[in-house]
Amino acid sequence: MENGNPPQADGKDPSGFLSDIIGNNVTVKLNSGVVYKGELQSVDGYMNIALEKTEEHVNGVKRREYGDAFVRGNNVMYISADS
Amino acid sequence: MASQLLPLELIDKCVGSRIWVIMKGDKEFSGTLMGFDDYVRNHTKLPKILLNGNNICMLIPGGEGPEGA
Repeated sequence: MENGNPPQADGKDPSGFLSDIIGNNVTVKLNSGVVYKGELQSVDGYMNIALEKTEEHVNGVKRREYGDAFVRGNNVMYISADS
Repeated sequence: MASQLLPLELIDKCVGSRIWVIMKGDKEFSGTLMGFDDYVRNHTKLPKILLNGNNICMLIPGGEGPEGA
């Protein structure tokens, strides 16, 4: 079980997906149900996420905006590419 | 002993086909399994998401979610 393995194509691990969506608008849902929408700057192996131009949505209602946001990976339920 | 299929080998066989993911809480996801990693972080599509494996309870190959069951 290696960790931090280089992104390369056995086509099965998610690293290629992540490199594809860097720079795109994404939706990040936390286990609490809070949703962050923003431009994905980076993700690491813990699913820590850096977003720019971030909007925070609670129960579907926009609550706040952040220029830059860091989300700690343990809170993340999923990252979804908006397309 | 007959050759046995390890649990993660089963999931490996599911890559590219439909899967139903039941989380620890009330949440469920279904989609096409694009891949997964050692933490069983699933990568389903339409829309493509990377689902954290922390709260996954069960994976059902070929599942279409509660409506399909």
